[in-house]
Amino acid sequence: MSESSTTDEKTETESTSIADPTPRQTAGTEPSTSGASTTSGESEEELHEEWTDYHFEGETHVSVENLDVHYGDDHAIKDVSMDIPSESVTALIGPSGCGKSTFLRCLNRMNDRIKAAEVDGSIEVDDVEIYQDGVDLVELRKHVGMVFQQPNPFPKSIRDNVSYGPRKHGDIRTGLIDRLLGRDESDAERELVETALKRAALYEEVEDRLDDNALGLSGGQQQRLCIARALATDPEILLMDEPASALDPIATSRIEDLIDDLSEEYTVVIVTHNMQQAARISDQTAVFLTGGRLVEYDDTEKIFEEPESQRVEDYISGKFG
Amino acid sequence: MSTITGRNALVSGKTSRYEFVAGGMIAVSALLFALGVASLFEFVTLTDPIAGLPTVTVLGGLLVVIGGGVIGLGGASRLELIETTPDRSAGLVAAGVFGSLWFGIGSVVGTELLGIGGSGGLVPGLLLGGGAFAVTVLTREDISSTVPAGVLAIFAGAVFLAGVLGPGWSWSPGSFPSDNAVTFFPSVVVPGSVLLCSLLVGWASAKAYAGFGARGRHLGAHVLIYLNALAIIAVLFGLVGFVVSKGAPTAFTGFTIGLGVGPEVTALGVSFSLPVSWPFLMNGASVFVKIDGILPAVVGTVWLVIGAVLFAVPLAVGAAVFLAEYADEGRFTSVVEVATNGLWSTPSIVFGLFGASFLIPRFGGSKSLIAGMLTLGFMLLPLVLITSREAMLAVPDGYRDASAALGVSKWQTIRSVVLPAALPGIVTGVILGVGRIAGETAPILVTMAGGTLPAGSETIDVIGGFEFISTPPFVTNEALLEASSALPYQLYALITAGLGGPQFEDAPFSALDFAWANAFVLLTVVLSFYAIGIATRYYFRRKLNR
Repeated sequence: MSESSTTDEKTETESTSIADPTPRQTAGTEPSTSGASTTSGESEEELHEEWTDYHFEGETHVSVENLDVHYGDDHAIKDVSMDIPSESVTALIGPSGCGKSTFLRCLNRMNDRIKAAEVDGSIEVDDVEIYQDGVDLVELRKHVGMVFQQPNPFPKSIRDNVSYGPRKHGDIRTGLIDRLLGRDESDAERELVETALKRAALYEEVEDRLDDNALGLSGGQQQRLCIARALATDPEILLMDEPASALDPIATSRIEDLIDDLSEEYTVVIVTHNMQQAARISDQTAVFLTGGRLVEYDDTEKIFEEPESQRVEDYISGKFG
Repeated sequence: MSTITGRNALVSGKTSRYEFVAGGMIAVSALLFALGVASLFEFVTLTDPIAGLPTVTVLGGLLVVIGGGVIGLGGASRLELIETTPDRSAGLVAAGVFGSLWFGIGSVVGTELLGIGGSGGLVPGLLLGGGAFAVTVLTREDISSTVPAGVLAIFAGAVFLAGVLGPGWSWSPGSFPSDNAVTFFPSVVVPGSVLLCSLLVGWASAKAYAGFGARGRHLGAHVLIYLNALAIIAVLFGLVGFVVSKGAPTAFTGFTIGLGVGPEVTALGVSFSLPVSWPFLMNGASVFVKIDGILPAVVGTVWLVIGAVLFAVPLAVGAAVFLAEYADEGRFTSVVEVATNGLWSTPSIVFGLFGASFLIPRFGGSKSLIAGMLTLGFMLLPLVLITSREAMLAVPDGYRDASAALGVSKWQTIRSVVLPAALPGIVTGVILGVGRIAGETAPILVTMAGGTLPAGSETIDVIGGFEFISTPPFVTNEALLEASSALPYQLYALITAGLGGPQFEDAPFSALDFAWANAFVLLTVVLSFYAIGIATRYYFRRKLNR
């Protein structure tokens, strides 16, 4: 039942509006419903394939081909293809209900947790197809970490939060039996916690209180702890679903700096509503517009300065969405 | 209506004489209310004097004073001696309350005092009730909410002062058939009317204090709610205090603390005397002990609760995990929900009969401790299931998502995130359930209970009852198959056996004292299970939030 209830979860703005069959008029934006392909204030135009045909130097880390996602009768993502370069920041922007969070959740198969979701097409991570039989979800999600919109640390100590993943995967053993048999890896745990927290730029703030409950941290610290928790399983790709939208400006700018640092080692894919944020931190930007279509995908500068699509220009200049 | 001058007076913080009087009236009403509660529970007896005056006279005098006072407040406001903001009327609810109260008084006076027969006796009632209703609806709020209440208080006070309700007074309404006659005594009528009048006057003076209008209604409602809460707390403490005062002296008879005064016990092969001697809890009931006690029943109750919890909690939590985490919300879960709710409200004697007809034949054919444990376990199941499921559903989905995004399997997520976060709620369910089953009499009566007053030698020894043998089933426990007593059952047995005479020859207390002490110990045991549960919940909450 927790599976089905994730459809109307608050952190999932995308799926909420999709699961809701009645069109709602919110601040001039109409979330996509089946049939509607534009939102109010949005003009109609033909999509051109070359707009999404983005060429980059360096390796392709994630390759998406002809991805379609249905929630029951709702066609949430329509035929999206894009290649994501490694060790860079890729921003996904677009109005509410355009399918960008759904797209993000396909990359680590989190949509499997929603029973109504049906995914067709191909996604390759490091040239391995992740939508085939026999994919080990544990390995996939260790490889592709995720950070959510609402900071959601567990009600445990800071240390336990960070080491949660590796401990549950059996990579670090601190259980009673291991302690009795002398296989205790508390040192390794300490080191891992320290490394992950340092990478998430949180270590100095919480150094002295690693055993305190994580819920006592501020919102921004909690979100950085969630990033540290995701980093602890040693991923190569980090998915971020509007990681700063619930935070104040100062915490937001710290998260942005952190993302900038992380992009040197990790492939970061970030969904954001905030176009300035996308412009500041991302190397390339993909614009999803209503109806679950990828309209334009290119270098961030190109998208923000001279987009090919009139609708993308309208969206970026705030004419709709 | 509030003017600049009125606002200035408020800001300056000076208390006007009017507010001082109104505040004093609220305080006197609260005092009267407390006195009413105290006399209802006989902490204040009506026959004893207070400060040299008979209690009834004191209460009557106070009622007349606050009744007159509240009318004065209303009058002062109506004559615009003070700045208030009354509405045009006190409203229909107040009118209904005042009207029906005055209708009742008028009818009683008409039929009983004036002796008007037939339905003619209702005429004074209709007149008074209608008058009170009309006054409340038609006059301005400052008059309509104070005068009917004030006159009622003065009337009640005058009756008290006139000495009508003396100690010998009683009233049996003639209209009741004689074979089930109802008789009112002062011990109920006096506290009852004091409570009623003080509530009404307190409400009216709170309204007056805040200057009527919206603020007045707000403060009036507050006073009513606080007095109501006070009454509930008073009932609770009154009940516990009553049992303690009746039972504690007997329960502590012969209680001594000192080295080597207690009975000898053997633990880990070492024999030593306990430093505490508490005959009532450490003895059974027999002619060979000086002070009879209830040890077998205490031990029986403790084992009963432990057994029921060990049996029911794992089952219920497991079922709750399935329902909350694995089962799809749908027809099946709603059927289970209806079934568990129904099971929880099933009368306990039905569980008892189930135990007697289903469990007892399967455990040796006679009443036994294990049959009682399982029966109470069945009773505990539904509540723990319901509360555990609710607690798990209340765990934020963000935790489950975060855990899944780290690649952690569902079962591990449940075990290391969902269950710990739901633990305080689960413990709450167990506390509530244990509170209910520890005091259950009916199921024990038919599944487990032994003799009425078991001797110390009949104390059940579950730990010592374990025997290990070399043939299957390798471990047996004779004690679990024996009948045992339990505190609620023993209290029931004492009451049915009659509380008239002395307990035994040369016993230091009577059978009635013995029963009160038994009730005291039962209450203490149940409350200590509560205390353990609350401490556990507090511990887990702290762990989650700090």
